[in-house]
Amino acid sequence: MSSQTITEDQRDCLQELINVSMGQASDKLARYLGTFVEIQVPAIALVGTAEITGLLAGNYNDEAVSLVSQGFSGSEGIRGEALLIYSKINADGIAELLGYTDDEVTHTEQLTDISSILTTTFLEGFAEQLETSFSYSAPRVVMLGERKLAEHLQERSFNWEYALKVKISYKVVDHSFNCDMVLLVPGSALETLKAVIDRILAEF
Amino acid sequence: MAEALATDILNHLNSGVIVVDEALVIRYWNRFLQIHSGRGQADILGKPLFEAFPELPKAALSRKLQGVLQLGTPTFSSWEQRRHLFLLPHSRPITTDSEYMAQNVSFMPLHQDGGKKVTHVAIIIDDATDVCYFQQQLNTTMAALEQSSRTDGLTQVANRRYWEERLRTEFCRCQRSSAAMSLILFDLDKFKLLNDGYGHQAGDYVLFTTAGLIKQTLRTADLIGRYGGEEFGVLLPDTPIQAAALVAERLRALIEEHRFIYEGQLLPVTISLGVAELRADVPSHEKLVTRADEALYFSKHAGRNRYTCAPVSEVAVAHA
Repeated sequence: MSSQTITEDQRDCLQELINVSMGQASDKLARYLGTFVEIQVPAIALVGTAEITGLLAGNYNDEAVSLVSQGFSGSEGIRGEALLIYSKINADGIAELLGYTDDEVTHTEQLTDISSILTTTFLEGFAEQLETSFSYSAPRVVMLGERKLAEHLQERSFNWEYALKVKISYKVVDHSFNCDMVLLVPGSALETLKAVIDRILAEF
Repeated sequence: MAEALATDILNHLNSGVIVVDEALVIRYWNRFLQIHSGRGQADILGKPLFEAFPELPKAALSRKLQGVLQLGTPTFSSWEQRRHLFLLPHSRPITTDSEYMAQNVSFMPLHQDGGKKVTHVAIIIDDATDVCYFQQQLNTTMAALEQSSRTDGLTQVANRRYWEERLRTEFCRCQRSSAAMSLILFDLDKFKLLNDGYGHQAGDYVLFTTAGLIKQTLRTADLIGRYGGEEFGVLLPDTPIQAAALVAERLRALIEEHRFIYEGQLLPVTISLGVAELRADVPSHEKLVTRADEALYFSKHAGRNRYTCAPVSEVAVAHA
């Protein structure tokens, strides 16, 4: 049975790896999108399956939100799911941000495109820090401007007991859209991640 | 050896692969695409992507490819958002409604010689025609199921569950926006005698025909539902009671004048109606139904084949 904890050293190290990846992502995004992307210091926590719905849905109360999911997997069994939760979306803002000037891109496609960009720019950097590389599944729009986040999360049968939750908030200053990225790394993959972190710690 | 093997595998893949360079000029395509596009090497290799495939949405796709080159991250296009990017015929022309292959397309950054810089983009095209086809069938089935779960089997109008759900929604909407809304409840007169005298099948025929006749005369926003036995409800959103009274009279006359003929016999069919409207002293949709029901009761006792508007005073009911 694996332990359901991470040590303070492991957490600090993970926090640092994430901070570096975020810095890189923020820089790349700013250059590509031509606007400043504010990324808040991530919150890292170990959560159980039972708590996750409440933890995620609680932040949005009755707000209409959109939810996009994208899976990632790397070597040695590191894998997880990135959930992007958008509130108060300004659809025109996203189109403008992505440089889509005409009507040829639907709202859903804009959302998957921006999601994919936000997730993968961060995860590419994170993979590099972990000395691996990730493969990604295509992003999928789970909800589009609905008030039923809790219901949708409950329907997703999380087949793990506990997971590492990393919550990162993006704020795109010029275009008024907010998005929380929640990385969920399930138990078995978390053991691998911890082993990699221990290896990095040992190198210092 | 490894390279020859890789090329061989690429040519046996059941997915299309195209590689473009930074200038979006096609540098490679695999056999899958040659076969499905029916185009020659000379048409494609060394040609700019948007020239070789003019069907591609140039502006949006350029921007996507730019992202892959600049950010070094993959991007995707799903059949659910765009049925297809490339116009390729598929292998199920009979069973699907589209003549082109539904596609999931991935755009992957390629780094030459293990360098950091992205030098090419691999475009991988997966055939999603089957998924697309089954999803559409599922959608059609779900829509049919939803329709049947809302419909009363005999009369083919809304069943009570769905009618009440809509009543609740409309009530809340009209209350919130201070809009007018009315409700008609009606009932077939002496339906038991009709059933006893002409048989249950004649009764069913009357129910079915009445519901159908009335449904045809209503506006699209109105909703008729079978409330129970021989009782029906008509929901009239954005309608004040004066207008609803006109509708009630029209429905009454319609049924009275219609010649209900079952197995050669002319059946005596009339309806009694009760009309109520959303008002400050009607706090819930249940109360609105009660009001309409009281008015319907009054019509019955005042001699049937008529309508009454709520509120009905208790004295009036007692004397009816």
